[in-house]
Amino acid sequence: MKRRLLLAAAAALLATLPAAADEDLVSGVSQDVVEITSNYTGTDLTVFGDVEQPEDAAGRDIVVVVRGPDARITVRRKDRFAGIWINNARAQLIGMPSYYFLASTRPLEDIAAPDTLRRYDLGLDNLRPERALSDGSIDPYVRAMVRALGKRGLYVQSGTAVEMLSATLFRVRVPVPATVPRGSYNVQVYLFRDGNVVSAQSTPLFVDQTGFDRRLYTFAHRWPFSYGVSTVLMALLFGWASSFLFRRKA
Amino acid sequence: MEIYLPIAEMSVHWLVILGMGFGVGFLSGMFGIGGGFLLTPLLIFYGIPPGVAVATTASQVSAVTFSGVVTHWRRRTLDLKMGAVMLSGGLTGTALGVYLFSVLRRMGQSEFSVSASYVILLGIVGGLMLNESLRTLRAMRTGQPAFGRKPGQHNWIHGLPFKMRFRESRLYISAIPPVVLGFVVGILSAIMGVGGAFMMVPVMIYVLRMPTNVVVGTSLFQVLFVTATATILHAVDNYTVDIVMAMFLILGGVAGVQYGVRVGTKLRGEQLRLLLALLVLAVAARLFVEMVATPADLYTVAVGTP
Repeated sequence: MKRRLLLAAAAALLATLPAAADEDLVSGVSQDVVEITSNYTGTDLTVFGDVEQPEDAAGRDIVVVVRGPDARITVRRKDRFAGIWINNARAQLIGMPSYYFLASTRPLEDIAAPDTLRRYDLGLDNLRPERALSDGSIDPYVRAMVRALGKRGLYVQSGTAVEMLSATLFRVRVPVPATVPRGSYNVQVYLFRDGNVVSAQSTPLFVDQTGFDRRLYTFAHRWPFSYGVSTVLMALLFGWASSFLFRRKA
Repeated sequence: MEIYLPIAEMSVHWLVILGMGFGVGFLSGMFGIGGGFLLTPLLIFYGIPPGVAVATTASQVSAVTFSGVVTHWRRRTLDLKMGAVMLSGGLTGTALGVYLFSVLRRMGQSEFSVSASYVILLGIVGGLMLNESLRTLRAMRTGQPAFGRKPGQHNWIHGLPFKMRFRESRLYISAIPPVVLGFVVGILSAIMGVGGAFMMVPVMIYVLRMPTNVVVGTSLFQVLFVTATATILHAVDNYTVDIVMAMFLILGGVAGVQYGVRVGTKLRGEQLRLLLALLVLAVAARLFVEMVATPADLYTVAVGTP
């Protein structure tokens, strides 16, 4: 009797133990839409979250990734011919993100093995195009692209940007520069435990023009001829008005 | 205050754009050039995508030149007939040039061919003008008869058929040279993304022997139509005309051109040509250095373009 009770208790314990031990993640983004208006100069997003059923903080890491819509990117390499630098070779990279932000609690290489990072597309060094057209190795082209977009503030990686507000509560500030492409973004938060992903959460985010700018953009793309003619008419009107105004003044 | 450009998809400071428009407008009023060859590189340097810079510059140039055309029309320093004859060749040339440009772009050589045509043409045109204006200035200082328009002089142009009378230019010459000039400039301007007045002005002065005072107005007339056509073609083919940026460039430009015209009428023709020659040579030299100097990054990255 006593033994059966003990067994039952042990079974119950075994059943509940793994569940209780599973660390989990809740996260959110301060905005689900970034609206680009006529005075838009870039903004900051906040990604925040909490670890549920926390275990020992020592082996735990958090990685936050914001990925923009995929783009087709052309990279050209210059070579010198008779003293002049000319575009000689090129590669087209298809399926690279147009915006990529990564923040983690520690430098990525301390968090997980290279294989794991590669599997989850984590880190600027692990970004690879889905398809590429090139006449040789694409590696130098990909590196050049990461370098160029990094300079424009569109590719960012920081090993310290995840801010721990308490033992489990975290927050990340994501800079969204004015040059970000429009489209649907994805915010992914990964919870690492001893080098393995134990939980991940993904939240969509949209970046779009609104109001007057949106209407202009639609006009330019849907009725390009009228848009071109309107631009010319505006130019002629200003040109005419100015010569009229300045004659009066002179 | 920063403004967001809906087509370029970036934000810029409006004063910078306004100032660039004013400065280039001033020079174009002074020299009777469109100014595209100055404005396009300036905008690219500021960070505007090259496609948007070229297309939007075209709309600014058409505003500035229209303002100039009205002013010259009022001062009767515009040969409408000569302008129309040149334009008939110019529009054909532009259409052919747009086609050539798309072929070059598919080959990935548009950037190089643009720079190379700039260096070669600006170098030749600037060199010729510098040489001529210096010779004239030196001749004037030593009291010798100035080199310039000799009304009785005949050259090979007078042997060509289809002669027409151009009253404002005081010329009776064949229609072929103006049409060919317009055609060639049309091709080059489509490839280089500029109106082409800086190439036409010297040919009109030295080859057609038009009087300098009508040259400026007449070249502006031709550039007006070429750039207005280019704006519409770019809007339809590439969606690269940014109307918000165009507005600020135009507001600055049309104000600048009025002051430029006023300063220009106070300066002598030879002095004007010397200044324009130096400006043209400076741009050519800068572009040449860029082609020869080892770039900071051998790779260039274009997002979202073929």
